[in-house]
Amino acid sequence: MTQSFTKTMRRFITNDGSYLLLALPLLIFVVVIAIYPLFFSFRISLFDYRLTDPNQTQTFVGFGNYLRAFTDEVITNSVKATLVYVAGTVVVEILLGLGMALLLSAETRIAQIIRSFLLIPMALPPLVVGLVWKSLYNVDFGIIPYYLAQLGIDLGRGPLSELHLAMPSIILVDVWEWTPLVMILFLAGIKSLPTEPYEAATVDGASRLQSFWYLTLPLLKPTFLVVLLLRTMQSFKVFDTIYATTAGGPGTLTTVLNYQIYKVGLTFFDMGYAAALANILLVIVAILSILYIMVLERQQL
Amino acid sequence: MQKMKVALYLVLALTLLVGMVGCGPAATEAPAEPPAEEAPTAVPPEATTAPPMEEAKPYEGVELSLASMTDQYVAAFRYLIPVFEEETGIKVVMDELGYVDLRTKTVADFVGDTAQYDLMTVDIVWSGEYGANGYTLALDDFMARDAEEMNLDDIMPVAWTLGEWEGKHYAFPLAGYANVLNYRADLLAEAGIEPPATQEELLAAAQALTKEDGSQYGIALLGAGSAGAQDFMAFVQQHGGTILDADGNVKVNTPENVAILEFFGSLFDYAPPGAADYWWDQRESAFRDGIVAMMEGWSIARAGYENPEISNIVGLVDITKAPVSEGMEPQYGFGGWGIGINADSDPVKQEAAWEFIKWVTSEEVQKEWLRHDGAPIRRSTLTDPELVAEYPWLPLMLESFEKGNGDYRPRFPQYSIVEDALGTYVNAFLTGQETAQDALDKAQTQIEANMP
Repeated sequence: MTQSFTKTMRRFITNDGSYLLLALPLLIFVVVIAIYPLFFSFRISLFDYRLTDPNQTQTFVGFGNYLRAFTDEVITNSVKATLVYVAGTVVVEILLGLGMALLLSAETRIAQIIRSFLLIPMALPPLVVGLVWKSLYNVDFGIIPYYLAQLGIDLGRGPLSELHLAMPSIILVDVWEWTPLVMILFLAGIKSLPTEPYEAATVDGASRLQSFWYLTLPLLKPTFLVVLLLRTMQSFKVFDTIYATTAGGPGTLTTVLNYQIYKVGLTFFDMGYAAALANILLVIVAILSILYIMVLERQQL
Repeated sequence: MQKMKVALYLVLALTLLVGMVGCGPAATEAPAEPPAEEAPTAVPPEATTAPPMEEAKPYEGVELSLASMTDQYVAAFRYLIPVFEEETGIKVVMDELGYVDLRTKTVADFVGDTAQYDLMTVDIVWSGEYGANGYTLALDDFMARDAEEMNLDDIMPVAWTLGEWEGKHYAFPLAGYANVLNYRADLLAEAGIEPPATQEELLAAAQALTKEDGSQYGIALLGAGSAGAQDFMAFVQQHGGTILDADGNVKVNTPENVAILEFFGSLFDYAPPGAADYWWDQRESAFRDGIVAMMEGWSIARAGYENPEISNIVGLVDITKAPVSEGMEPQYGFGGWGIGINADSDPVKQEAAWEFIKWVTSEEVQKEWLRHDGAPIRRSTLTDPELVAEYPWLPLMLESFEKGNGDYRPRFPQYSIVEDALGTYVNAFLTGQETAQDALDKAQTQIEANMP
């Protein structure tokens, strides 16, 4: 992969310019959509910039907004909440998604039907999903607490308001919505595996568990990488479901970083601080992504 | 062949999904439809009550956009807007928004100077912020010009807090709410309890009316977000407390407020288990459902309890003044909505918007406004014999308005910072994440950190 990249670069530079010309629309697009906003957000993160200030003064504060974030207890709490949420959703979704992919990889009629129905949650807008689950969870009128109560399980203030239940409850919503995506990705990975190693393993007398452990898992590593990256980034960015279900509560328990950024930016209109927080989130996600790639790529080579 | 089948299933699933997803926007548009269809049938009776205004339609063809909170009064808007359009030729397009969305969208509109909305309903607590920042137009010139036809003295004095800031009016009173106590007359009579007159009696009654088996709770309360913050502030007011110090600075973590928060928390022991998560609509559902015996709240929902389509408690509800702490001079929380004009709007639109405000708050239209779930602002409406016969609780509201306090939630420009911090930490206390003292300390810290 690195080889082909250097080759492309060399061609890019030595060529008569037609390469550049052809790539230009994409370059312009990326600059306008990604690079310019990134620099803009970095710039305003260095200012005390509040939209609600009638004079719209922008005072340069250097890294003041970043320092404020590191001493702000609300932010440390929200980073913790984010990490718990990300870890919870990613681990559960990978385990469930892989299991479901293995279960449904057979080309039987039933598997095909189930697979297509499993796509439904993924295609619903997260806000709608959040609202639906909120009413399902409602302790006085909702269906989930009702049936659990029939079974003799008392939910107290309800799944979204009890301290030990709120986080698992919103993780469950995310798992419900995104496990199918993970399943599809694993399914694609499983379908593209070569058959020869399995035949060889069968000839050598390996059990199904052994061939799963020593063949399927290592061969699926590229898929794992994609799933991990995709789901981790998406989980870090979660907003809609939290906005619609707990709104960060009970107290501050499920106030993830992205929700806190929304509050700072769109409730207090404190744009400088919100931009600084968004950049911190970006750095955390970037570091984690690089770690994943390093760990999984090294093992593969 | 297999692939074909898979593709077929995928296409099927997709069409199914597109259908389901497609329902989203359509469903939100749907509620706006029926009133438009009702309009033609609704116009004739209205035309006879309203004075004939055939002479001139100076703003004919002007199109106004109105951002309205989805409170009860939105139904009155739905009914009255077509009538107004008929009379003046001004077109009013209403966008119905929830509390949080309304604020976010209108403030974004103000700070971006985009003038997407010409008219907006303004919560009493936003008036300071909107006034200080000049988001909405000061209406004083208009008011001085048209004072004669508007009979401004008829508007309840307390109602002016719905938009006044530092002597000017940035929103015109639209819907006045009084904090009252709704209670189930049948349940209280059955238990032999008098309607509570003090906060201490309220707690005792809530306890007595709660059944062990979870079939009935004493009181419905608000515990989450802005709603929880506002309910807490209402109880602070009813206990004679304040969240400001002598110099007008925010001071929420005083020993008195900690004690009031603990009292507020003890009421939750007799509220439905989900109450810590309630916003206004869920509290309302709980009461209408018939699982709670008492509910403090705005006077606006009273008529709805007699509507069998949305209420299980028809004919069972009575209403009384909101109980205050023992020995305290009675004073009642006042809230509600004003209606403002976007300062960025085109002057012609501003004139047309003022026509709308003048029309909807006029003495004659206010009667229809009240009959369609609007809330009163005028003494003439509250004392109209015909209306009092229809809505026997109006005298009680009049009294609550007379002794109303519209400032128990500070209406200064930083109000939203206070509300957000209290919303978060009152909920943290109610769900057991923090003690009352820690919760208010943290709220105070957050307020101070966010104050500009």
